[in-house]
Amino acid sequence: MTTDEREMRIVEAFATLADTLVDGYDVVELLQSLVETCAEVLDVDAAGIMLANDDQELEVVASTSETSRLIEVLQLDAEAGPCMTSFATGRPVACPDVTEAPAEWHAFRAGALALGVRAVHAVPLRLRTTVIGTLNLFSAHAGDLAPTHLRIARALADVATIGILHERTLREHEVVRSQLQRAIGSREVIEQAKGVVSHLRGISIDDAFGVIRAYATDNRQPLSQVARSVVERRIAL
Amino acid sequence: MTHAFDRALRALASTEDVPDGDLSRPFCEVLRFDGVSVSTFGALVASETISASDDVSSRIDEIQFDLTEGPCWTALSTGAPVLEEDLVTRPGHHWPAFTEAVREHPVRAVFAFPIVFGPFPLGAVDVYSPAPATLAPEQVRQAVSLATAAGRRVLRRALRSLEDDDVLADRSPFSRRVVHQATGVVLAQLDVSPDDAYLLIQGHAFARRTTMRQVAEEILDGSVRFEKHGGLIEEAR
Repeated sequence: MTTDEREMRIVEAFATLADTLVDGYDVVELLQSLVETCAEVLDVDAAGIMLANDDQELEVVASTSETSRLIEVLQLDAEAGPCMTSFATGRPVACPDVTEAPAEWHAFRAGALALGVRAVHAVPLRLRTTVIGTLNLFSAHAGDLAPTHLRIARALADVATIGILHERTLREHEVVRSQLQRAIGSREVIEQAKGVVSHLRGISIDDAFGVIRAYATDNRQPLSQVARSVVERRIAL
Repeated sequence: MTHAFDRALRALASTEDVPDGDLSRPFCEVLRFDGVSVSTFGALVASETISASDDVSSRIDEIQFDLTEGPCWTALSTGAPVLEEDLVTRPGHHWPAFTEAVREHPVRAVFAFPIVFGPFPLGAVDVYSPAPATLAPEQVRQAVSLATAAGRRVLRRALRSLEDDDVLADRSPFSRRVVHQATGVVLAQLDVSPDDAYLLIQGHAFARRTTMRQVAEEILDGSVRFEKHGGLIEEAR
């Protein structure tokens, strides 16, 4: 991608996100397009967004690939890795070379290397003093993220935060919690829907997500709504 | 009659309206017999009377627990209702020790209905009458439905009683994701609700003393499958 193309793509991405926020949207769908945009414009190989649940554990809510290996590495990262550190400190955390990751991140390091990940960057989803999750960028090559890319990642993380927490509810802690739970809850239904489609079609769980997503896009329906219809057996994919 | 049945069915579903100790009451109301007991026993759960409408009912349970024979054992092992309209003059089953032991109690007719959930045998509902008695086919059908509804509750109760429920639920977010996916597969296999599909996975883990994640992974790789035969859920091998 040339610099001009990238710039164009970034402008488009923000315009689309702004439209989405104005028009009403499905949170998981929004986060899904965010991670895909990140991977594309930031030159990383995989991206994921994790949100904190009621127990302050981070859960994957959107990722560029649904392969269980990636999800598992993201979860390891959430236990002890750049992502956990970013969540705990509220600051971006860079791990430009996973082979040199500190000893206490050993489980994450092993998982990441097995997956072919060499560099990881984590950016907090933060609203003033409250951190609600992290945006995580995985790269197959060692090295730091360019400063402009980091700046874009932070802006995208901010959009994600706004998308999750409606502006009017920001002051109310309980509402913030319930909206986080709702985002994580829609993920639960999406996982169930993947199971249903995988069984009915005899395809893998990973492929099932693609089928659900394609149906949502083709029929202009939110991902969560499609997933719910699948689980309630109102549509058969 | 139908009204009473619907009310009883709803009562069995709600732990708030009807505490465990009152579980026999909906059966009394629908079947119009005063002597009803609900008990758990068998390979999975401890032998225990959960609810008995009177002393004779609980005595009948005790006798059967001690002797490991009688209508409730037959009902659970055959998975079908046991209908003894007159134990003294027209005994249909051969329970020498049980028949001898209840001789000193006012018991002439005995009916037993198995309590199962999916493939899990959990207990039985015993109904007795001091005089010879018959149940109309409609009453038998209703008792079977009520016993099925009780099965869901009895399994939940058994799961709750586990001293350490982490035995079943490895509560990491990644495990939850896998369990949700497997829930989707099971609900598609059996055309049941997500709650029942989840409970089946939980019951399976409980029966095997393993984790839900382990069961979920076996469901996803196809080594554990559930099938419906008639109204019965069985594990396919």
